[in-house]
Amino acid sequence: MPDGQPMTESPILSDLQALTRAALPEVEALFATARDGLKAQVSAGGKVSNQALEARQYQAHALAWLATYVEALRQLDAWAGRLTEAGQFGRMEALILQISFGEYLAQIAGGIPMSQTEFARLSDLGLAYTPGPAAARLMAEGNTADARHALVGLMRDNHGRATFGATGLDEDLEMIRDQFRRYSDEKVIPVAHDWHLKDELIPMEVINELAELGVFGLTIPEAYGGLGLSKASMVVVSEELSRGYIGVGSLGTRSEIAAELILCGGTEEQKQKWLPGLASGAILPTAVFTEPNTGSDLGALRTRARKDGDDWIITGNKTWITHAARTHVMTVLARSVEGTTDYRGLSMFLAEKTPGTDETPFVDPGLSGGEIEVLGYRGMKEYTVNFDDFRVKGENLLGQVEGQGFKQLMQTFESARIQTGARAIGVAQAALETGLQYAEDRKQFGRALIEFPRIESKLAMMAVEIMIARQLTYFSAWQKDHDKRCDLEAGMAKLLGARVAWAAADNALQIHGGNGFALEYRISRILCDARILNIFEGAAEIQATVIARRLLE
Amino acid sequence: MKVLVPVKRVIDYNVKVRVKADGSGVDLANVKMSMNPFDEIAVEEAIRLKEKGVATEVVVVSIGVKQAQETLRNALAMGADRAILIEATDNVHVDIEPLAVAKLLAAVVKEEAPGVVLCGKQAIDNDMNATGQMLAALLGWSQATFASEIAIEGDKARVTREVDGGLQTISVKLPSIITVDLRLNEPRYASLPNIMKAKAKPLATKTPADYGVDISPRLSVVKTVEPAGRKAGVKVGSVDELIRKLKDEAGVI
Repeated sequence: MPDGQPMTESPILSDLQALTRAALPEVEALFATARDGLKAQVSAGGKVSNQALEARQYQAHALAWLATYVEALRQLDAWAGRLTEAGQFGRMEALILQISFGEYLAQIAGGIPMSQTEFARLSDLGLAYTPGPAAARLMAEGNTADARHALVGLMRDNHGRATFGATGLDEDLEMIRDQFRRYSDEKVIPVAHDWHLKDELIPMEVINELAELGVFGLTIPEAYGGLGLSKASMVVVSEELSRGYIGVGSLGTRSEIAAELILCGGTEEQKQKWLPGLASGAILPTAVFTEPNTGSDLGALRTRARKDGDDWIITGNKTWITHAARTHVMTVLARSVEGTTDYRGLSMFLAEKTPGTDETPFVDPGLSGGEIEVLGYRGMKEYTVNFDDFRVKGENLLGQVEGQGFKQLMQTFESARIQTGARAIGVAQAALETGLQYAEDRKQFGRALIEFPRIESKLAMMAVEIMIARQLTYFSAWQKDHDKRCDLEAGMAKLLGARVAWAAADNALQIHGGNGFALEYRISRILCDARILNIFEGAAEIQATVIARRLLE
Repeated sequence: MKVLVPVKRVIDYNVKVRVKADGSGVDLANVKMSMNPFDEIAVEEAIRLKEKGVATEVVVVSIGVKQAQETLRNALAMGADRAILIEATDNVHVDIEPLAVAKLLAAVVKEEAPGVVLCGKQAIDNDMNATGQMLAALLGWSQATFASEIAIEGDKARVTREVDGGLQTISVKLPSIITVDLRLNEPRYASLPNIMKAKAKPLATKTPADYGVDISPRLSVVKTVEPAGRKAGVKVGSVDELIRKLKDEAGVI
């Protein structure tokens, strides 16, 4: 504070970072005890029993959420440390850190919302928590009305900045953010609401512009026509485009998953053939995995692929195929190994498709389908796709090896989840900015809405939780960029990010009151778009199971 | 032909400008800064001239604080070839005056010998609208201000200017100083490949002393105040009352 200005009592705890550092080991120990306890309950002969784990699913998910919170706090503390070293740890960052710790520690002690009505309680895990002095102080004095008021005050002065609080990312990444933020502001936000209301496909012009900006080849190696950039840059681009419109932020996801599949599982010829086109955006791909009766339980899927000379003939029904009309290639997961019923019989095919239009999505022989009308996440449209003796060239079996489809797909999950975490952040940021704007503009009882503490607290918690989700996602991306395993952290980023986005959208709509319920207001679309994040790329319940299983390994 | 484009780091156009408590100027601490939008248009035009084969090299120059590096990197990411940063102050609140900037630019021009200097018509922070004109005077070059269209034809430039009440087209002899207006073009987004390439492009750092230019201020700011807030409106009960008010009180009809 400059000299001569009156010192008002600061809501920021004077020894904040010492407190957070001291509190962390406590919750880490709490988690370790919880994990060991559950492990003992679900293990048989030194291995986790699926049956026992399923019987204790609620406890397992409670453990997954507890672990997610501990990791979130660890990453936030590390973020604060890095910013301090760089001289960027200011008041806004301190308030975010303090409110995060205050709130998340209190939730760990009292119950973590897994959904609106289900809470992960320590009692579920047979534990009780008596916080030590540092944790107790953060819980009592961290997330206070004064702290939230101070944070919202700073947020109101933040106009023009892309994020609330410094991200800790380097200058190059922030420069990338600026460009894509501007693109969203100028080319997406003014028109996206109209696309949504009219349920239109995103104009090809936008796809072509994104291709020119390099979105589709972002992480594809330079040797295959891509830019060879980091997952961190993919995260920043996805965030900013999703902030404009989730559909636009998701265009890159499709290319990302397809490219990752081919990079991990394809032969050299397949990489040469497909990757340059995917990178340039000349080839638009779509993922064809889900079936009417198999969603999360992919291993049980029934679409068949049988050999016919050198070629493969595919028969079966697929659903939830995003952007199917316009795509040039479908990555189809089908059962090719006779006599199998589980994941071991599945193979991945790069099935070529003639791009269709909104009116005529499917033109190839043996291919038909229809649109599934949806609540949100429009812009690319969802389809059912029926394969009736659809022919795929023999050279298009991924990796030229059968029975590897499920494994090949699993290898893409880390990237897909990181990217989905980023999309969630973008949607949440859009909700926050929309809510903040409305709260400043709308006057009731002679005051702007933002002056009321309950409005203020909603906005403060959005900013805080967005930063938490950001740091979890950035950490996953960092791990991935440094060739470290990150399935656990990426799953956590996706799990928490989706909840944060839904809460932000719901609360931002609440701030709008009746107007938020009107289709003409942008927040109504953001709410619809946010809802998908908890479902696709692993529903929240599946995500929690995957996390729990890894924790108990 | 080489094109020189001076770019200024200014408060971002989205930011609500706030006056410092002591009235000495605008508060720039922790505020988002960006390239002056008119300068961005000048950079875009220079890159287009290069893409058309008219220009051979685009050099961008910025005068101010060290952080102006970011602004120059942005111009390099758009497609400029090379950058020069003249570090003239380490205080973000110090604005280098147009005459000092023009003198420094004149020195850079002598070194670089560009065929055209493309400037933004003014910076959105202090709206001086002076640097380009002063630079032309110092160099004794022709000038064409407020350009909305530029065509290089041999040793001349045909420039359409936005003047009060319409457009004026003039022909100036090269080398020339051209200052650009809002409607000249729409600046591009820096693509990801170009952002990466920009990292490898040369950025030279200099000081005013390197050019032997004295930049000490000649102007003093007396006071900076916020614009007066808008007064509340009144509701009128009828059209007759509205007409009466417009006639008697506002005096507009």
